Amino acid sequence: MVLQLYGFPTSTCTLRVAVVLKEKNVPFEFHMVDLTKGEHKAPAFVANQPFGQVPYIDDDGLILYESRAICRHIATKYASQGTALIPTDPKAYALFEQAASIETSNFDPFASGLAWELRFCMWFGGQTDEARAKTLRTSLAGKLDAYEVILGRQKYLAGNEVTLADLFHLPYGAIILDIGIDEFSSRPNVKRWWDAVTSRPTWQAVKDGIA
Amino acid sequence: MVVKIYGFPISTCTRLVELICKEKEIPYELVDVDFRKGEHTSSAFKEHQPFGQVPYIDDDGFILYESRAICRYLIKKYPSQGTLGLIPTDLQAKALFEQASSIEITNFDNFAGPLVVEKFFNPPTKPGLLNTLQLLNAKMDAYEVILGKQKYLAGETLTLADLQHLPLGRLLCTAGLADVFSSRPNVARWWNELTNRPAWNTMKVGA
Repeated sequence: MVLQLYGFPTSTCTLRVAVVLKEKNVPFEFHMVDLTKGEHKAPAFVANQPFGQVPYIDDDGLILYESRAICRHIATKYASQGTALIPTDPKAYALFEQAASIETSNFDPFASGLAWELRFCMWFGGQTDEARAKTLRTSLAGKLDAYEVILGRQKYLAGNEVTLADLFHLPYGAIILDIGIDEFSSRPNVKRWWDAVTSRPTWQAVKDGIA
Repeated sequence: MVVKIYGFPISTCTRLVELICKEKEIPYELVDVDFRKGEHTSSAFKEHQPFGQVPYIDDDGFILYESRAICRYLIKKYPSQGTLGLIPTDLQAKALFEQASSIEITNFDNFAGPLVVEKFFNPPTKPGLLNTLQLLNAKMDAYEVILGKQKYLAGETLTLADLQHLPLGRLLCTAGLADVFSSRPNVARWWNELTNRPAWNTMKVGA
């Protein structure tokens, strides 16, 4: 059975999964979950995803959610096709896990927080908390200073090959740039890395939404 | 050479790595990084950990940071000793473990972390924090559903994903927020079992 992806066409976490499906050449069928109608909070949805969030997949009966977990599952199940995204050598694998954790702890909270304050909260009738946005941006800048050091020694976050860890940055990195928060361009190594990851045809194919 | 953990006792991330070493019966040496003197922000420290955070490990010359990455590395390195199955190898079981591990980061740590920081470092309660507690409670309602269907977060066996909750969860309790666990029968059952694990109980209470 073809993999079924349940998500929202432009949702960051849905796009995170879509780009990995493309990297691994895995065909999928997309089912739109209408967030604007609260479909993600409906009992039928919550039965599959108890946190009421997108995306989730149905992989031949295996229901899986949390976009990074889905990406890891696809990268592992289809290890022998498409781009290799998780190293197998024990030390390279450990450095991949380090890089993947860097994204969740040192990038995502700040980038997604900025995306919320400067864009998404308005969709839900909220107002930008300017002080919080300022703090988040300052923190993000500090974190990217460390990225600048790391990426001065190696091409990608886990080493010299692209891994899932790099791709995980794509959706929120793209949104904050779109909002006008550019902490990449002023850091030459970060800029080089960001340009390399965003220019991948797979990201270009999904970045504006899944049909 | 015994693995060296560079961290400090009150750091939840340091404690998670120590816990896994105990669960896996891996001898280790805890090297104290002087938090009060800002040793973690020194350029010497940042040579090893560019974000200036604890912990990092030196495993016979191999330097690794990010506590969950360290745990995964150690569990993978010692598959046959101590508590087994902390990271499943079967494809489906592994996927459900990854789901559970991600749940801990995005649906627990993300909310519990700021609450704990607020309690211990910023006495006056900011208005936003009430919302954070509401959000955490909503997440724990989902945990209650999950743990009503299965024993642990990834399925019927204990994995790293469950253990990931211990250090910060304990601080939540110390901060007076234990009822996020105790008010929900399935969550309480799961939490009580985790906190009664011998490896967790051999660890000294943090400063």
